[in-house]
Amino acid sequence: MKRYLLLAVALILVGAMLVGCVAKPTSVLDKIQKAKKVSVGTSADYPPYEYLDDAGNKTGFDIELMAEIAKRMGVELEWVDMPFDSLVAAVSSGKLDMSISCFNYDEERDKIVDFSEAYYTTEDAFVVTSAFTGTITVPEDAANYKVGVQSGTVQDGWLTEMLVTPGLLPEANLSRYERVDQAALDLANGRIEVMMGDYVPIQALVAQNPDLQVLYHGVLSTGPINIVLPDGDTTLKAEVDRIIKELQAEGFIEQLAVKYFSE
Amino acid sequence: MDFGQFISYIASGTVYTVGVTLIALPSGLLIGTILALLYVYGGKVAARVMNLYSTIFRGIPPLVLLFILFFAVSKGINLSAFLAGSLSLGMVSSAYQMEIVRGALLSVSGDQLMAARAVGLSRLQAIRYVVLPQAVRLAIPPWSNEAAIIIKDSSLVYALGVQEILRRAQLIGASSQRYLLAYLSAAVIYFLLVYATTRLLNLLEQKLSIPSNP
Amino acid sequence: MPEPILTIKNLTKTYGQNVIFQHLDLTVNEGDTIVIIGPSGTGKSTLLRCMNLLTRPNEGQIWLDDLEITAKGTDEDQVRQHIGMVFQNFLLFNHLTALGNVKLGLTKVRHMSDEAATDKALEELSRVGLADRADHYPGQLSGGQQQRVAIARALAMDPRVMLFDEPTSALDPELIGEVLEVMRQLALDGMTMIVVTHEMGFAREVADRIVFMEKGYIVEEGSPDEMFNHPKFDRTREFLWKITELYGKKEKEAK
Repeated sequence: MKRYLLLAVALILVGAMLVGCVAKPTSVLDKIQKAKKVSVGTSADYPPYEYLDDAGNKTGFDIELMAEIAKRMGVELEWVDMPFDSLVAAVSSGKLDMSISCFNYDEERDKIVDFSEAYYTTEDAFVVTSAFTGTITVPEDAANYKVGVQSGTVQDGWLTEMLVTPGLLPEANLSRYERVDQAALDLANGRIEVMMGDYVPIQALVAQNPDLQVLYHGVLSTGPINIVLPDGDTTLKAEVDRIIKELQAEGFIEQLAVKYFSE
Repeated sequence: MDFGQFISYIASGTVYTVGVTLIALPSGLLIGTILALLYVYGGKVAARVMNLYSTIFRGIPPLVLLFILFFAVSKGINLSAFLAGSLSLGMVSSAYQMEIVRGALLSVSGDQLMAARAVGLSRLQAIRYVVLPQAVRLAIPPWSNEAAIIIKDSSLVYALGVQEILRRAQLIGASSQRYLLAYLSAAVIYFLLVYATTRLLNLLEQKLSIPSNP
Repeated sequence: MPEPILTIKNLTKTYGQNVIFQHLDLTVNEGDTIVIIGPSGTGKSTLLRCMNLLTRPNEGQIWLDDLEITAKGTDEDQVRQHIGMVFQNFLLFNHLTALGNVKLGLTKVRHMSDEAATDKALEELSRVGLADRADHYPGQLSGGQQQRVAIARALAMDPRVMLFDEPTSALDPELIGEVLEVMRQLALDGMTMIVVTHEMGFAREVADRIVFMEKGYIVEEGSPDEMFNHPKFDRTREFLWKITELYGKKEKEAK
C-alpha cells in the first residue's frame, strides 16, 4: 500500500511540475555526456542481481552489466544506493539519470518513467519450506495459502490483480514486505506459507537454504527486465538500447547470466 | 566476509547517523526556541500560528516530509539526500522542541516574570535574565528524550539513499543472508550512541542544577 | 509641610463583571507608613499592583511625585525603578544567589559595573542582616531570610516608595519577627511605605495611618489611635476586634 502511496505522491508532484513546465529541458543524455558521468540508482539487497561482496562493494548481474554500459557510453559510473521503493521516483524527479534494479515493465511505472529494451528475461517462482503440505500445479493454486511478496514488485501486482481482486485470495492472507529477505524470514517462521518472487534471486535463496524448494516457476508477471529511464527522453533511450543490443549480439549478457545464475 | 569486516561495514554508517543528528538537533533547537518564545510571549495571533506549525509538523510522518523535501522541493534547489534528510528531520524536531521549550517557559512561574518587572527590568530583560535561565534547566530532561529520538529517527534518511547504519545493515544482511546479525549489530550501535548522549546530558543537568537544602 | 509622594484619585479596577474596587482616593506623604487592612479578597493586593503599574486600572489616575504614571505613553519600566515591591511569596529569582538577586537590577537596569553593583548589593544585604548569606541560593534560605533578601533587592534600587503585599503571610510564626523588625527599622529610617498586612501589632506600633478597605471601598482611615480606640464605623470596630483577637494570639505565640 505504501508503495502505491509513494507512486501516487510522485505522480502528483511530477504532474504538478510538468504542468508548469514549458519546454522539455535538455536531454539527460546531453547532461551525462557533458559531465562525463552517469548516476545510476540501485538497491543492492537483491542477490544475484545486485548485492554486496565480502569487501562491501557492489556486485551482481545488473552491476556488471551497467558498468559495461557506462564504459561504452564513455562516461564514469556513479552508483547511488536507495531502497527499491524510492528508485522510480528518483529517476522521475531527476535525482538519478537512470536505474537498474531488476525492474520489470509495469504500466503504473510507465506513466512517470520510460523503460529500455529488455536486457534479460526472468521468471516468477513460488517457493515454500519443507513443512509445506499443499500443492501448486497452476499459479492460481497459491490463492489457497498465506502468501508473501515484496511490495511494489510486479509479483505484487500479479497477486493483487489475479488473485485478490477476483476474490480468490483474501486480502488478509497476502503479506507485503519491503524487502525479499523480510518475506523469506516470515516464510521460515511460518507466518506465510508461500512466497512469490523473481525466480533468479529465489534460486539463490534456495541454494543457501536446503529447507526451501521451488514449487512452480514460469513467466507470469515477469518476463523481460529493463533499465528505468527518465520519462520522454528519446535520445537517452536510443543510446542505451543501442548498447544493450550490442552486448546481446556479442554474447556478453549471456556470459554474465552464466556467471551469476547457474549453480 | 569475516565478522570484523561485517561489523565495520555497518559501523561506518555511524558518521552519517551522527551527521544527520548534528544538523537536525541544533537547527530544531534554534527554531524551536525562537518559536516557543513567540508562542508564549508573542500575543494571541502569534500563538495561533505557532500552534498551527506545531500541529502540522507533529502530524506529518517524518518520512513523508523527507520525500516531499527530497523529490519535490529539490526540483528547484538541488539538495543532496543527506541535506534533505537532515533538514526535514530538523523541521519536524523543531515542532517537538518548540513544545518542550514552551512547556519549560510556562513551568517557570509567571510570578517570576512579575517580580522581575517589579525591580524595573523590561519584559525582554525579564525573559532573558530570569525566565530563560530557569527554563533551560527544566528543559534538559525532555530534551534529552528528543535527542534520543532524533538519533534513532536519523535512520529514516535511508529512504533517500544515505548510507547510514540501518541502510548498511539492510544491504549487508540481504547480501550475506545474515540478517539477524546485521540488525543486532545496528541495534547495538544505536544503543551505544543513545546511551552516551543521555549520560552526557545527565551530567550537564547535574552541573547546571541550582543548589538547595531539601 | 510633608509632600505627597503618591496620589491616587478615583481609581477603579474591574475584572470582567466583577468590580474589584472603585472610586478610591488615597494620598501618601513622604515618610509615611500606610498600613492597609481588610478582609481577604477586597482588592488590597490589586490596589498595590496598580501603584507600580503591574496591573492597569480601568479608571482614575495615579501620580508619583509630579508625574502622572497612569498617563498614556509612560515608561512603565522607568517608573518601577522608583517603586519597590515585596511579595507575599518572596519571588526571589531561584537561579541566582542572594547577592545575584540583589545585583540584577543594578547591573541590568541601572547599568552599574559589576564591582559597584556587588558593593551596593552587599550593603543592602547587610542592612537586612544577611551579608553572610550572600552566596546562598533561595533554596538554601529560610522563608524569613528569603523575604529579607527580597526586601534588600527592592531597596537596592533606591526607591521613593516601598510596597509590601502581605509580606509575612507566608511565613512560619517564628520567622515573622525578623522581617517585621527590618520593616520597622525601614520606617524609622524615613522610607515611605505602603503595607498590606494582617499584623496588627506592626500596624499599631509603626503605622502613621491605617486604611480599612472592604468590598472595594475604603471604609475608614486614620491614625492607629483613632482606628483602634475611636473608630467612626461599627464595621471598623468589628473587624479590628476580630483580627486583633486572632492575630494577637499568633503574636503571643511568636514571642
